Amino acid sequence: MKKTTLVLLLLFCAMGTMLAQRTITGTVSDNAGEALIGASIIVKGSENVGTTSDIDGSYSLEVPAGSTVLIYSYTGYGTKEMTLGASNVMNVSLEEGVLVGEVVVTALGIERESKDLGYSIDKVGSEELVRARETNIVNALQGKVTGVQVSNTGGNLGGSSKVIIRGVNSLAGRNNPLWVIDGVPFNNAQNPGGDANGISGNRDFGNGASVVNPDDIESISVLKGAAATALYGSRAAAGAILVTTKSGKGSKGGGPRVEVNSSYRQDRLMVSPDYQQDYAMGSQFKYDSSSVGFDWGPRIVGQNVRSLPVTGESGPLQAVDDNGINDFFEVGNTFINNFAISDASEKMNYRLSLGALNQTGVIPGSSLDRYTISLKAGVKHSDKLRSDFGIQYITTESEGTAAAGANDPNIIGFSSFSSTLDQNLFKPWIDEDLGTQLNQIDPSSNNPFWIRNENRNDRDDSRLLANFSMTYTPIKDLSFTGRVGYDYNQDNRFFSNRKGTAQRIVGDFTVDNLNRTQFNIDIIGNYKVDLTEDFSLAILGGFNYNRREFSREGLFSTDLLVPELFSPGNAAQNVATRDFSEHILFGAYSSVDLSYKDYLTLNLTGRNDWSSTLPIDNNSYFYPSASLAFVFSDALNLTSDAFSYGKLRASFAQVGNDTGPYQLDFNFFPIASASGQYSLDVNFPFDGRLAFAKANTIPPEDLLPERQNSVEVGAELKFFDYKLGLDIAYFATQNNDQILRLPIPQTTGFGFLRTNVGQVNTSGIEFTVDATPISTKNFQWNTAVNFSSAKTEVVELTEGVDRIQLASAFTSVSVQAVEGGGIELFATPWLRDSTTNRPIINPATGERQAGELKSFGSVLPDFTMGFVNNFSIGDFDLSFTVDWRSGGVMKSSTVENLQTGGLTQETTQNREGTFIDKEGVLLNPDGTVRENDIPLASAQAFWTSLDNNGVSEASIFDASFVKLREVAISYNLPKSLLENAKISGLSIGLEARNVALLWSKVPHIDPETNLFGSGIDGFGVERSNISSTRSMGVNLKLTF
Amino acid sequence: MKFLKIFSLILLIGVMVTSCEEALDVNTDPLVATSADPNAVLPFVFVQYSNRHTSELGTRMMDVPQHIAACFNSPRAGATGSTITGNTWGMYYTQVLGNLALVEADALEGGPGNNNIAAIAKIFKAKSFFELSSIWGAIPFTQGLDGVQFPTPEFDSQEEVFRGVLTILDEAIDLIDAMPADVADVSTGDIIYGGNMDNWRRWANSLKLRVLMMIRNKDAAADNEISKVLSEPMIEDNSQAALIRYADNPAETNSWQRLITNFFGGTSESSGVYSPTSVSYDLFNQNDDPRFDVMIYDPSDLGPADMGLATFGAPGSTAHVSNAVVRNDMSHNMFLPSEISFYRAELALLGVSTDDAQAEFEKGLRQICEFWGGAVPGATATIATADIDNFISNIGAVDLQKVHEQLYLESFFRPVVAWNTVRRTKVPDMLPVPGSGITTILKRFNYPPNEVSSNPNTPANLPTDTPMWFEN
Repeated sequence: MKKTTLVLLLLFCAMGTMLAQRTITGTVSDNAGEALIGASIIVKGSENVGTTSDIDGSYSLEVPAGSTVLIYSYTGYGTKEMTLGASNVMNVSLEEGVLVGEVVVTALGIERESKDLGYSIDKVGSEELVRARETNIVNALQGKVTGVQVSNTGGNLGGSSKVIIRGVNSLAGRNNPLWVIDGVPFNNAQNPGGDANGISGNRDFGNGASVVNPDDIESISVLKGAAATALYGSRAAAGAILVTTKSGKGSKGGGPRVEVNSSYRQDRLMVSPDYQQDYAMGSQFKYDSSSVGFDWGPRIVGQNVRSLPVTGESGPLQAVDDNGINDFFEVGNTFINNFAISDASEKMNYRLSLGALNQTGVIPGSSLDRYTISLKAGVKHSDKLRSDFGIQYITTESEGTAAAGANDPNIIGFSSFSSTLDQNLFKPWIDEDLGTQLNQIDPSSNNPFWIRNENRNDRDDSRLLANFSMTYTPIKDLSFTGRVGYDYNQDNRFFSNRKGTAQRIVGDFTVDNLNRTQFNIDIIGNYKVDLTEDFSLAILGGFNYNRREFSREGLFSTDLLVPELFSPGNAAQNVATRDFSEHILFGAYSSVDLSYKDYLTLNLTGRNDWSSTLPIDNNSYFYPSASLAFVFSDALNLTSDAFSYGKLRASFAQVGNDTGPYQLDFNFFPIASASGQYSLDVNFPFDGRLAFAKANTIPPEDLLPERQNSVEVGAELKFFDYKLGLDIAYFATQNNDQILRLPIPQTTGFGFLRTNVGQVNTSGIEFTVDATPISTKNFQWNTAVNFSSAKTEVVELTEGVDRIQLASAFTSVSVQAVEGGGIELFATPWLRDSTTNRPIINPATGERQAGELKSFGSVLPDFTMGFVNNFSIGDFDLSFTVDWRSGGVMKSSTVENLQTGGLTQETTQNREGTFIDKEGVLLNPDGTVRENDIPLASAQAFWTSLDNNGVSEASIFDASFVKLREVAISYNLPKSLLENAKISGLSIGLEARNVALLWSKVPHIDPETNLFGSGIDGFGVERSNISSTRSMGVNLKLTF
Repeated sequence: MKFLKIFSLILLIGVMVTSCEEALDVNTDPLVATSADPNAVLPFVFVQYSNRHTSELGTRMMDVPQHIAACFNSPRAGATGSTITGNTWGMYYTQVLGNLALVEADALEGGPGNNNIAAIAKIFKAKSFFELSSIWGAIPFTQGLDGVQFPTPEFDSQEEVFRGVLTILDEAIDLIDAMPADVADVSTGDIIYGGNMDNWRRWANSLKLRVLMMIRNKDAAADNEISKVLSEPMIEDNSQAALIRYADNPAETNSWQRLITNFFGGTSESSGVYSPTSVSYDLFNQNDDPRFDVMIYDPSDLGPADMGLATFGAPGSTAHVSNAVVRNDMSHNMFLPSEISFYRAELALLGVSTDDAQAEFEKGLRQICEFWGGAVPGATATIATADIDNFISNIGAVDLQKVHEQLYLESFFRPVVAWNTVRRTKVPDMLPVPGSGITTILKRFNYPPNEVSSNPNTPANLPTDTPMWFEN
């Protein structure tokens, strides 16, 4: 009886279970109907019950009794909850990039729902990145991410771009965010060619991140606050940019998915000076054929002159259109091609991508060829074990990188052109038989085409980014991940000045080989548990090992016997240099997420780092963070037709920071050269003697790790069924104990003291408004405006020091951190009357006079805004991005040279009449002033005296601008036309970058260009940079 | 078993912690040394001093005392920019004096056996402070070079500096006097005298006389000290001249020529980079001065260059400084015996000494002619004794004007020495500087911006035509 009862009971239970369970099947796809492979489908309330979609996006799931809701999610797509109805078939499409419920990549590559985050993260998807592909991925963030300021050095091929997130926090130049690719940090360093301070002959060879192929990127997450980056530790004190590369996907019809993306663009100077064409080369109305860049000669009336420029022949004087810049600068060509093949199954996926970027630049003789091969694959070995790896090999070869700054014969700027100088006369530039320079203006100046074609500025850069990770999931909700990453960069540079180059007559060459490696290990344990029906807990613990090595070997050889033979044995002088550094960091970290009813999440993190660069006794530092996310719309049931979603967030974080290697000991350096003015160096051994010299920096005593405290509060609001959104944040950062190489009086015998100093506060607000004002079947308009404003305040420096120079721009111009102020541009102004603030004129000359060095204000913008618009009109897509930078000052040496050289239109005003500086005043004996009535010797005297005695005021401008950053129009061929060709997608388009400078207060140049590349915190200085280029062309995207 | 597991775990953690600590112990730069022998530091000090001096002051301000007509980027019109002031200031204080302070301290700590090294460091330190004050006037001296005790050094007046320099030189001489027989070998580091401390003593005394000549311009009491030093051994012969030799080797050439080689090609005579003014040209071109043909290239009698000459001038349009002066292996001549002889002549004329003024004057003339006519290292020209005799005969009886003019010529192509001579003696008359923003020749440099911004004790910059303390 008992047995019968037991059997019946078991049978009843089994039948009951069978009756209660349902098998739900269906597909998961994206908006376009593409299958999403590996999408997660879980049962709400029974999160341990779930499955993933297969190669066709199909799934099948046994749903327990009583379960009514399934949750669908996929990386980069919005999470969707679907209520089960009568049907057992559930086909779901997920929307890409929808904020709410979006899974975002956070620190350490951990995917979390954005609604659970107590800090802000911005995400840029792949479509945004390849719409009008940037050759430097950093620039693709311009205007698209709140709180991010991107600046570049102009139109050099392969040039660098600098990213600053939420303003400047560090006075030690550590304002670059940490870059992470697929969970592994990689270097974004920049080492300019030329001198260390980026002034003499600066050659911008790009930042480390610029090599990443935009076609390989699935998404970029920008982690802005310290709470977001706390688990990365000290290296992400200035924020982090997480790059997630694309994984393998199959095609909709099964089989591999093939994507082809090709663009061809033409590049032209975006901005060129408004040259005057009325007056010839020369001075004081006297014609001088050697006066290049100095057009104060006679009015051009077709008069005959005895010696025309370059040829020396007699003939009529004639103006050359635009001073001949279009005969010198060329139309650049950019080809961007990418081929990718990928596939996926339930067990594995892979993606192989081949990219090619081939460019010729606007500067003659410049070219860049970059080839990328990347492979990413993942294997699901079992339900418990999964491994993934990614490898990218990138090789870049560039030639003819232009020099900027000063003190280098290879610099060619806008002020190197003259009204009556035909650039075509410079051709040919070389006697092919003798190898000597032809068609020079005079023996002491170079033929510009010789400079561009005979002197080499080459770079051969190889980059390997590799990562491997393995995840073991012994039980549901417990996983262990080991991740290893390696970043290898070999950067070989070669410069030469051909024998016969004026100022480098004897010929020279420079070999500069840099090697950077980074090895990173993370071991992470994850555990999730539902404590009760309402409370859930996620715990993470991990260990990090990071080792960075840098080595550099160089050779400078001069006095060549045989021209163009670049061997040390062919040089009378050889100076070899060598550099090495090693930096090791251990980190242990943990994170706890406590969630209540899915609308309140508290996240606590802690990390301890041990750094090799700090004193052994003080090399450990701990920093915590806490953040809170509260989805009040869910908690308070506030949702309605008008109000869709509301979340408040708050966070606090503390981050520590170490310093660079080898900064603790006092050392003597072996010296290879005794430096001289104009690079007139003398080498050691000198008369057989070697030389050593002390360090110029006093090493620190009891150095402490830097401390940064930051808070952030913010809100995310969605209205009208998510068609209108607002994300707003306030942030404040306090940076203490900065480790700084503090300039000290050289009269101490040393130039610097390394020590902990000061406090820098940064605070600001940022917001994004996104909207879909129109959404019909055939027309959709998505628009977004982002705004960010960050203010940097230098609260305290150190005793007796009220400002610290961060970068020098030669002459009297420098960028300084000012106690009680910010990061400011210092320069010599005109002497001004304190009452009227007008320049005081020297009564003897009628000229303005030099005043005392002063600040011209912050070099950082007051705010930046981006305006992004996408229109879908049937099969057409149109998008454009406008960005606006407001505030900040800059000094332009190009403008200074253009104006003092009489090259531009404004210098023709009243050139031949009596010239009185009406803006100036004359000082009366009683201290009052009167209107100036003292004529200058000439208009030339006025313009050329504006920068006398180091005065820079005339060439300091408000750097505000508005730019139409990118425009893209594409046409997607209807699928009905493609089906027979087995093509799943084909679009053709027109694309343009840096389309137009819509508004600027700086004449003649692109106000965005900057002398200092990404490696130096020198904002606000332009000096003979190559202008940015406007790039326009066509694009073809093909998917099989 | 449980115990074993726990023990193993503790062991593992212990190994990990230990290995972490070891792994972190990598913060020692493998490419540098923690200490350095003076024989390695002194070559840096001397060569760096010399190369900055020749390439910066030597190419940019030789038109201030108007030896030559125009220099590129010259401060002669009154504006002493941040580059020339910053580079020169930094060279003296951080590269020369900063290193010498360490050499001196180590040597003194090492005891009398290192007296020679300490004395060399002191003498060059004294020379450097003297030149710093000659250029800027008031400078950090007593509080300089001690960043621990004086992170923002106060500035001492020029008079205090000059007197302090004399003290340092006395200390150096005392150290030499107290040297044991067996002293450290400094022959490698001492590229000036090869460790010959007798010559260093002579140079120290000679420097004392040079400084005292400046002080006596304002303080006649200095004559007592002058009388004493006149009886001490000084640089009396061209073989004792204090100089740094360059070589006709591209890695070790004098920057005067290197500037031409790199920027224009050719030589001084063919490039016209250095062209004499009428001041120097006319003084050389009288009394059949045999130096004229050696030092000035003017085969077509084109005459001197105009002070308004743009930058480097025009080759072949005027006289130029000869290739015998501007050449790869021209030495950096820091102190020649002729300067002492002319001082002796001057002091005799003024009644400070009982020397024979005429004899000392003629001795000086002979010494300087012999220097340029053969004694200068790598001499490419000779001057016959008969020509020197003829010149001395022609120049006639000594007077103060002639002595000062010869001091001016004796310092040819040595901008700071020449500048001091011109400012001290007011001889010869200087030409007006075209486009100058100041009322006289340049009298002083402004302090470099880096010092101004980092040292609140830096005095306000004076107009650059403000006379120095030692001037009358």
